Amino acid sequence: MIKIERRNETSNLIYFLTPILAIFLTLVTGAIIFYLLGFKPLEALKFFFITPISDLYGLSELLLKATPLCLIAIGLSFCFKSNNWNIGAEGQLTFGGIVGGGVALLFYNHEGFYVLPLIILAGAFGGMVFAMIPAILKIYFNTNEILVSLMLVYVSKLLLDYLVVGPWSNPEGFNFPETRQFSDSARLPILFEGLRIHAGIFIALVSVFLAWVILFKTYLGFQIKVSGLSLKTAKYAGFKGKTMILLVFMVSGACAGLAGVGEITGPIGQLHRMISPEYGFTAIIVAFLGRLNPIGIVFASLIVALTYLGAETAQIFLQVPKYTGQVFQGMILFFLLASDFLLFFRIKFLGFKRYEY
Amino acid sequence: MNTKLKVSKVSKIYPGCIANDNVSLDFKSGKIYALLGENGAGKSTLVKILSGVINPDKGQIFLNDKLLKLKSPKDAKNNNIGMVFQHFNLFETLSVFENLSIDSEKNNDQLRILVNNILKKYNFKINLDVPILNLSAGQKQKVEIVRCLIRNPKVLIMDEPTSVLTEQETEDLFFSLKKFSKEGILIIYITHKLKEVLSLCDEVAVMRKGKVVSISRTIDEKLSSLANKMIGESLNKIKKMTSNNLSGEQILRVSRLNFNSEDPYEVNLEDINFTLNKGECLGIAGISGNGQNELFQILSGEILSNSGSIKFRNKEISKLNPKERREYLMAFSPEDRISQAAVPSLKIYENVALNNFKTSNFFERGLFNERKIKDHSKKILSNFSVNTDNVNLTSQFLSGGNLQKLILGRELITSPELLICFNPTWGLDVGAINYIHRTLVKINQQGKSIILISTDNDELLQLSDRISVINKGKLSKIMSAEEVNPEKLGLLMGGGLVD
Repeated sequence: MIKIERRNETSNLIYFLTPILAIFLTLVTGAIIFYLLGFKPLEALKFFFITPISDLYGLSELLLKATPLCLIAIGLSFCFKSNNWNIGAEGQLTFGGIVGGGVALLFYNHEGFYVLPLIILAGAFGGMVFAMIPAILKIYFNTNEILVSLMLVYVSKLLLDYLVVGPWSNPEGFNFPETRQFSDSARLPILFEGLRIHAGIFIALVSVFLAWVILFKTYLGFQIKVSGLSLKTAKYAGFKGKTMILLVFMVSGACAGLAGVGEITGPIGQLHRMISPEYGFTAIIVAFLGRLNPIGIVFASLIVALTYLGAETAQIFLQVPKYTGQVFQGMILFFLLASDFLLFFRIKFLGFKRYEY
Repeated sequence: MNTKLKVSKVSKIYPGCIANDNVSLDFKSGKIYALLGENGAGKSTLVKILSGVINPDKGQIFLNDKLLKLKSPKDAKNNNIGMVFQHFNLFETLSVFENLSIDSEKNNDQLRILVNNILKKYNFKINLDVPILNLSAGQKQKVEIVRCLIRNPKVLIMDEPTSVLTEQETEDLFFSLKKFSKEGILIIYITHKLKEVLSLCDEVAVMRKGKVVSISRTIDEKLSSLANKMIGESLNKIKKMTSNNLSGEQILRVSRLNFNSEDPYEVNLEDINFTLNKGECLGIAGISGNGQNELFQILSGEILSNSGSIKFRNKEISKLNPKERREYLMAFSPEDRISQAAVPSLKIYENVALNNFKTSNFFERGLFNERKIKDHSKKILSNFSVNTDNVNLTSQFLSGGNLQKLILGRELITSPELLICFNPTWGLDVGAINYIHRTLVKINQQGKSIILISTDNDELLQLSDRISVINKGKLSKIMSAEEVNPEKLGLLMGGGLVD
């Protein structure tokens, strides 16, 4: 007999162990999938998770991919913690990229120290404004922010498409759907010669620190926490609920915008259709895998970034499609949600005793 | 028809608490049995076991010497055990008849004839074709009872049935229950109201901390003897002294307050007018759902009202939110302790920080001052005798009474001029009720004012200087406590008029 019981107390240990359990289960299932596909499971996993980071270049790539994921997830944690379901970070990233990229194109033949900060601010501003749309609609018209923010993703992606094909396309670019290359002073500095890792990582680290301070040490963070747990209580305590909805969306949008501008001024250096391999959506997984905790998110972003790299290596060495990366991301989220069951319930093995009533 | 129900050595253990400890009881038809106990004494657990909602860990139940296996509520129904819960299980927007037909196997014509016979037999006046939401609480309860009667119950269990009824409705209910009992239905009546036990029941079993501590005939019992058995200590009755420091200084004035809600489930308030003096306690009685919720939220600032409608110490406050009103030294204790006044998953000190004043400096320059909040919380825990001194404890581990003490303490430690509380003792045990009543009397004596919105008439009569009744969003005239008695209140609560 197996009996499932509600836990009296959720232990902190379990709270941070379940993500690790989820990752473990993902690896096991991944091994089974590789086996069924006819590969040696351990070898395949090695190609997927070890080979990509076995040299300096690989490590730099890992940090490069973790940077936007971490930044976006930090922003999302503000929304998710306060019960605002912003699913449109991908759109906010794209729009931030568009605005930041617009400024960069404006200065394409300028040099100067002020260019880069201006672009970064513009990107953050763009993401912020774009995130304010679902927030304002939610506040004044009681719309569902999940739908609005999600649909706006496609709006901004199509807008980017239009811009890079039409008005902003490179006049000397043989009609390729891309803009001019940004000037050197519009690019985030590279940290090490020969590697792609750039200064954007510092923006992410500063955001992690600020988020930690705000969420755990300030009145604002306290209000976000209470609103997330009980809107009724927030209302009773007199927190300004509407202002808070707007605020968390603005933070979240600004972070996504920064991630977008970090991509185009970092590794990409211009605008084109594919400025993000769906970082905005994947960051939702990162946020939850990191338990909406800034420090947790740092680790989660590294793990999820690895699935991007692993997929690329696996494509080369095993000839499997790179979408296996998404399979792994999906499995992590699935197992995380499933093992969260253990947070609130425990399974008791009772043996084969019979009960008399 | 003779029915015997036997509960034999039933135990149910929850982690950290023994809800039922070796409970054995015998019931025979023809009598009305009371199951008396404080909250948490184990009555509800036993009732849930009898109705198949939960399974006991040990023990058996016999109906007419036959072992019963109650694995689900359906088993209870099939064994002719009927159950009327404290909270109604009715679909508000469906008609009475539709509600009755949902779980009946009979076809509609047969059922209608049967229901009409039942209504006629017991003189229940209910229109079968109106939606439930148009019925009063008493009528809804009758629908629940009819639902049981359709199945010819041998046993009828009533779980705290009078908590939402007026005096008149309660009398009606008792009359019906006595009639059912004469017809051979075994009635088990669960309550913590002592008077009801004496006026209705033949035998009484008292439960305390999961155990049956006494079984006796009610003619051998008095209010005080039952109360002693129930709480296991002698009970000091609080008597409110008419406040002698009524200075006549007006502190709150509500005038021409109107509220029209867009939500059909909320009650509109119509032309509310009253004033409140320093050191006074104004009681607002009424059956729940007559606008108390809305009135509380308007007074606390969760709902903003028409401008000019609320003046506190000569300042217009109708457009201020709860936090701003607190700065003016108002304090609020809402009805819903668990999901509104506090967050169960937060720690005690975090729940204390919900009531954040400028002067309390919980958040210096926006930063969380954990030490200050914890010191402040410790003060509340000791000043208001909360049963723990651990401010890091998650609030869900506090019992209802201790949680309410914490909330009241949080609201009162800042010495507010006015406390507005809504059912402050709802669902608490006698000890906690006693403590809270004493606290309320004390702050009155310190010259602070109270608005007490409550559905407990005894509480209102004990504590109030003046009393008004809210009915369908309108306030009755305000009466001084001496001229009010339970009958008068009951009449006004039911929508009648006095004098």
